[in-house]
Amino acid sequence: MKVKNRRLKMVRDYVIIFLIGLVLLYPIIWMVFATFKTNEEIFGSVKLLPENFSFQYYIEGWKGSGRVTYTNFFINTFLLVLPTTIFTVISAALVAYGFARFNFPFKKILFVLLIAMMMLPNSVVIIPRYTLYNGFKWVNTYMPFYAPALLCCNSFFPYMLIQFLRGLPTELDESAYMDGCGTLKTFTHILLPLMKPSLFSAGLFQFLWTYNDYFNSLIFINSVKKYPISLALRMSLDAESVVQWGKVMAMAAVAVLPVILLFFAAQRYFVEGIATSGLKG
Amino acid sequence: MKGKANYRKRDYQAFLYIMPWLIGFAILQLYPFISSFIFSFADYSIGAKPNFIGVGNYKKLFTQDKEFWNSLKVTVLFALYTVPGKLIMALAVAMFLNRDIKGINLIRTLYYIPSLFGGSVAVALLWRLMFLDNGVMNAMLTALHLPNVQFIGDTRYALKTICALEIWQFGSSMVMFLAALKQVPKSLYEAAQIDGAGKARMFFSITLPQISPIIFFNLLNQMIQALQNFTSASVITEGGPLKATYVLGLKLYKEGFSYFKMGYASAISWVVFTVIVAFTLLIFGSSKFWVHYGDE
Amino acid sequence: MKKRLFAAMMAMAMTASLLTGCGGGSSNGNQAASQTGGETDAAKKDETKGTASSDEEITLRMSWWGGDERNEATLQVIEQFEAAHPNVTIEAEYGGNDGYHDKLATQLASGTAPDIVQVDPEIFPTYVATGDYFLDYKDYGIDLSNFEEAYIGIPINGNYDGKQLGLPTGISGAGIMVNKDLADAIGLDFSKTYSWEDLITMGKKVREYDDSMYLLCANKEYIVNLVVFNYAKQLIGATVFDPETKTLNMTEDQLKEIFGYVKRLYDEEVVPPASYQAAYSGDNLQSDTNWIGGKYVAALTYISTIDVMVAANPEAEYVMSELPILDGASEAGWASNTPQVFAITSTCEHPEMAAEFMDYFFNDDQALAALGATRSVPPTEKARKICTENGSLTQVTMEGANIAAAMGGTPNDKISSSEESKTILFDSVETIGYGASSVEDVTKDAISLLSGLGQ
Repeated sequence: MKVKNRRLKMVRDYVIIFLIGLVLLYPIIWMVFATFKTNEEIFGSVKLLPENFSFQYYIEGWKGSGRVTYTNFFINTFLLVLPTTIFTVISAALVAYGFARFNFPFKKILFVLLIAMMMLPNSVVIIPRYTLYNGFKWVNTYMPFYAPALLCCNSFFPYMLIQFLRGLPTELDESAYMDGCGTLKTFTHILLPLMKPSLFSAGLFQFLWTYNDYFNSLIFINSVKKYPISLALRMSLDAESVVQWGKVMAMAAVAVLPVILLFFAAQRYFVEGIATSGLKG
Repeated sequence: MKGKANYRKRDYQAFLYIMPWLIGFAILQLYPFISSFIFSFADYSIGAKPNFIGVGNYKKLFTQDKEFWNSLKVTVLFALYTVPGKLIMALAVAMFLNRDIKGINLIRTLYYIPSLFGGSVAVALLWRLMFLDNGVMNAMLTALHLPNVQFIGDTRYALKTICALEIWQFGSSMVMFLAALKQVPKSLYEAAQIDGAGKARMFFSITLPQISPIIFFNLLNQMIQALQNFTSASVITEGGPLKATYVLGLKLYKEGFSYFKMGYASAISWVVFTVIVAFTLLIFGSSKFWVHYGDE
Repeated sequence: MKKRLFAAMMAMAMTASLLTGCGGGSSNGNQAASQTGGETDAAKKDETKGTASSDEEITLRMSWWGGDERNEATLQVIEQFEAAHPNVTIEAEYGGNDGYHDKLATQLASGTAPDIVQVDPEIFPTYVATGDYFLDYKDYGIDLSNFEEAYIGIPINGNYDGKQLGLPTGISGAGIMVNKDLADAIGLDFSKTYSWEDLITMGKKVREYDDSMYLLCANKEYIVNLVVFNYAKQLIGATVFDPETKTLNMTEDQLKEIFGYVKRLYDEEVVPPASYQAAYSGDNLQSDTNWIGGKYVAALTYISTIDVMVAANPEAEYVMSELPILDGASEAGWASNTPQVFAITSTCEHPEMAAEFMDYFFNDDQALAALGATRSVPPTEKARKICTENGSLTQVTMEGANIAAAMGGTPNDKISSSEESKTILFDSVETIGYGASSVEDVTKDAISLLSGLGQ
């Protein structure tokens, strides 16, 4: 009786998951089918299924625009995104540790400044930032992405990690100090392993946001040979030219695949339970 | 973040840890930040010499610019719709998907997909196609024998349509909630179960307090994002119809990059900054009543 | 203790590496100084490096926006030129039109713009007014003999105060493209000159014929650019602003008449409801489902977008027609101008070579054949001949260019073609279309906002 009940519950759960998922993903499903459609089908009808399935748009789209193909764009994207992500996670973790676990002079004011950096809309700092980076000879390189990552200039990440760190009891640190650990060792040996879920989510976000960042890539990258995917996707969009939307959709679908795979693969790291039981309360 | 007068010796090591940001702040962040503040007091177009006019930009903004108050209202409304919407959606889905059933990894991934596209051209086009007068949504309404709605063209619905897009991309908050939920020690639930606590009680007395730092962070962050947002409005409605979706983020972008009035745009962004600070103080002030930290 | 020391050293080492990582950076003060000095430095460079020997390695940067065909054609021309000049490399920086000018403005302001840039002629005057960003083609011996002097002599096509700062890439302009079969079936004749009033009469006929159809496919942007401006110039016999005094030429009563006409376009259903059009604003007319489904008799259009509109509904047969004209108007109001200009920036280190490339780009047979009509109808007779022969110019586009060129009206002045003035008018037309406010009030607001622009 109990077993039957449980099975029934499980079926019910799957049905609910499926139904919510269908609603959420309907536009995406629509998009995937749109990669097989002509402009006339995309705009002229609400039918989900295309007239015929041909991978022509994928093949054509991969060639890019002009002479640079998506093979290049993908390589560029990874050259841009991977270091940025790694630098961000390292610097944000250190800064977060500094803020979360120590009580030092000017801490309050520095913390306020850290948070304040998130609050000014980006559009108006673009020009002074460009002037600055241009002075550093960073234009048309990936340094405008690497350097701020290395120097922890997106306050979102340290702040997010501070919040996660504060969820971990300070008794952990105290007992480490008691065992004679220094601050760095306490951090790397005790806290970092416990922060794994938050570190992975920080990395995932930075990966995703840099991957999708159109505006900064547009402003700072000049050479088509260095374009990341976010620029490539809009490359041939022009009001005076006939745009094959099926092709645009096809490339957008291809572009999102690596991120889906990344999330799928990295998931177990931040969703896996951590053995903190017994430490709290 | 409590300040104490007596510092331990090792506390000074904190400066080494926060050094990356201190350097970044000094050489990369401070100059753009301050120069935008200075430009907000100038008549300054991109590339030309700034001409300082005191509080002229602010005066014009508050007293002459008819668009401003509407944009402020739209921006706050946008935040009031999307922030709670996104958080509740994200937390509900995270709770729901925080379980060990077959294929849960795949399911979580699928639920995250809408957020992976960001502000991509594909999403902009997709959303328009969904909500056109003769688009997919209206086709569904017709099939259900419901009256059609002008999701983009009707001033009453346009803002809600772009809010829906924003809420649809709830995935990043969901991921943070999933990570936070995993940090809650299982032992707490086990103990509560022995005490005979029900599911609702466990949620309110264990889950919520335990993940409250992350709820707080998500709330703050989503609020900041929402008040600065301009992509959803710019890709779907371009601020229309009749400025119904003309959020401040979009207005300052247009003033700066389309009209070249960088001084005026800077003034708007400092107003946005002030609004964000006000909301932040409100959220921080309330936090001592509902946010519980493990380090206290 | 040892461990703590180790930790401190680790952190120090890390900090040190971070510091050296930014070692190339100058202080903000220096930054600002080099910024202001940039222009004069560049000017000096022009003089010293101008006389480049033919085997010196030269790299030029060139930027444009465009679709696949234009990108491919332009790259072909670059390759041809590079083959003939082995010491020259031209780096192509192309992309979509979204954000192109935001980036260009940033680059011009920072002195990092490419050597050769494609610019929207409506935005070009703003750049010209802001700084000495562009070189005069005439100083660098480019052959302009293939261009008609009258055409490249007007500001919108690149000539400012006698300096040829830009060169037009083509001929564009406004027109009405008519779905011929549908117009014939309803009995509408677009072939002869007609008035604005006739347009409304035709609109009514269309509604009587089939109430799912409208005469004109048009959104607020097209109504402003093609109806409001043309009507205004025909009505006042001059441009909306006086370019010299920077004041409005148009009176409040005149604007009221124009907006009154716009209101009738909506009220008498010549164009679809504003709330329907809202989803197809800007350049999105070609995605209007009703255009794709052949529910419009005609569309307001630019010559450079005709092919896009045709591609959206390729089954129909199209002819180009003139825009309406006010009875007794001394000024047609609309004219042909270019869809883009190409300019050489003043920070260019090798302006001779850049000019030589532009010379090749605009005059060489092989280049013109490769470029075809990828930047609308070509600007020179020579290029048009080549394109007609190789079939890259479509009949309907050519027709449109001929009609626009024949009208010879005055292009918009600098102030009224600015993004800000247009937005004021877009908003006004939208308010009228939605019936959110009376024509009187909209006019009053618009006049007060517009007159603020001249200063």
